Amino acid sequence: MTEQTEKAVPAAEAPLPRGEEPAAEGHRIAPLRGELSNTAAFFWGFTCIAGVLAVWFVITAGPPGEAEKRMVSPTTLPSVAETFQAIPRVFGERKLVTNTLVTLKRVCLGFGLSCIVGVPLGILAACLPALRAFLAPLMVFGRNIPVAALIPLTFFFFGIGEFQKVMFLFIASVAFVLSDTAAAVLDVPQRYVDTALTLGASRWQIITKVLGPLAAPSIFNSLRLLFGLAFGYVMLAELVKFGSASGGLGDLINMSQRRGEREPILLVLVIIPMVAWAIDRALWWLQSDLFPYRYGGAGLIPRFCGWLLHGRRTEFRP
Amino acid sequence: MTGAAPDNSPESPGSVRPAPVDPPGDGRPAAVEFRGVTKIYNEGTSREAVAIRDVSFTIPDLPDKGEISTFLGPSGCGKSTVLRMVAGLEPQFPPTRGSVHVLGREVVGPGSDRGMVFQDYTSFDNRTVLGNVTFGLECRGVPKRRREAEGREWIARVGLDPRRDAAKYPHELSGGMRQRVAIARTLVLRPRIILMDEPFGALDPATRLDMQDLLVRLWREVEATVMFITHSVEEAVYLGDRVFVMATTPGRIAAEIRMPAADAPAREAQVEPWFHEQVNQLQAQLEAIEAAASRPGN
Repeated sequence: MTEQTEKAVPAAEAPLPRGEEPAAEGHRIAPLRGELSNTAAFFWGFTCIAGVLAVWFVITAGPPGEAEKRMVSPTTLPSVAETFQAIPRVFGERKLVTNTLVTLKRVCLGFGLSCIVGVPLGILAACLPALRAFLAPLMVFGRNIPVAALIPLTFFFFGIGEFQKVMFLFIASVAFVLSDTAAAVLDVPQRYVDTALTLGASRWQIITKVLGPLAAPSIFNSLRLLFGLAFGYVMLAELVKFGSASGGLGDLINMSQRRGEREPILLVLVIIPMVAWAIDRALWWLQSDLFPYRYGGAGLIPRFCGWLLHGRRTEFRP
Repeated sequence: MTGAAPDNSPESPGSVRPAPVDPPGDGRPAAVEFRGVTKIYNEGTSREAVAIRDVSFTIPDLPDKGEISTFLGPSGCGKSTVLRMVAGLEPQFPPTRGSVHVLGREVVGPGSDRGMVFQDYTSFDNRTVLGNVTFGLECRGVPKRRREAEGREWIARVGLDPRRDAAKYPHELSGGMRQRVAIARTLVLRPRIILMDEPFGALDPATRLDMQDLLVRLWREVEATVMFITHSVEEAVYLGDRVFVMATTPGRIAAEIRMPAADAPAREAQVEPWFHEQVNQLQAQLEAIEAAASRPGN
């Protein structure tokens, strides 16, 4: 091992033999695992979107009124223009904004409940091995259960209203929240616990003042990723339903499907990932700002809170 | 080279300066005393591993002074095991056999009377410098105003600026500054015993000399007993009133050497001829011990 590295160092500095000169140009355009400039990254991303739209445009192109001449029939896939013409209808008649907010409210309630239960319990489970072993079977069950199969069960338990959707999300996500939280606490290096012990901290103080706060960045990161998962699950709960319209993006898709309209479905499918992505970015900003020592944010919120708490004695440096 | 060196053995080499002799015991309990301490992991199984065997030594409690004992030895000789046993930290504590006494009482677990500074940075990242330094006082329930006043005082004593640095977070500090915070965080609790596990090991040489000066200055102020692990012979000679040389397989104390106290700052003392001679002698001794340990049949 050492020999190899010793040999490798001079070899890298020595001029390469003739005919083995590196393909410098190629490496500059496509460096292995390298960074790309913002402009280049934007260009490639834009190219992808344009490519997808172009393919969509070509396979659905045809003279107006002669649908049978298209490569793909409009009953399978409407054309780009037809889809975007449906925008006003989706926003107006189908109340896209309201339905998005209804869906978000459900995710926030269900996933919020998971956090309220899962995070404290996860921290305790990491700290108390007996509790961890006690919860282990539930974790295995909760993480591996096919989520869709839970839906009929939740109808029996929680009825067909809002409560059922919130509880479905809670059951589907709480095991992940709990086990990710426990893993984050177990990942805090033992030396912090040792330090706290030699500084006279009690067991409870170690949990609340050391392990909890030091695991917080990882916990927040897990919750951000799991929020995306919960956003996917809520669609499932809204698609499978009894009775009348209950609102939400899933319901919007359901209604369009029953009326045989493809355009609203396609639009909602475009909008859902965009909303999810925007939420994820917002949470990422919050995360890096809350934990600048871990994610390199500006730390505006902690500094502002510190300034509020300590007043003049610490200066607020944005 | 079996077992521990007997107490008060001035195994001092003929140094240029006379090595001090232990003052006669006046009935005070020793600051730290190991009595036949052995630590074996997984005893009786195929994975049995002996960390230290039959270690006995005494560090006297010098009234109003304290002393610095340095521990030298190759990796795996049980230096950290000895230190963590004094701190009462698992899994090194409790010993398999024997007992550890601090100021006349047997160690039963960790406590703030024995402060510890680690080599790895252990600043709590979510707390400011002030929050780190006052952590122990906060755990004791000292009111906020009083602990912050005391914290600021100690931030100044370790050479940081209370106005500028108190509100900083650890990730904004250099390695040397982080260790200053770690020292302040320990000393603000006024421990009688200070345990230092290679605290300056990760620092660059210049910072290291500064930190040695800082340690000597603070130690005179707090009059505590310091146990200091290092890999550097120079550091062991400069800081130590007493140097414990440890050997491996099994981990044990091979020699206990009294050192003359260095009274000059680190940069001046460490270029003086007597200092070099002392270092060379200790180095030779270390090599002899290691050669003896690697001899077949040992």
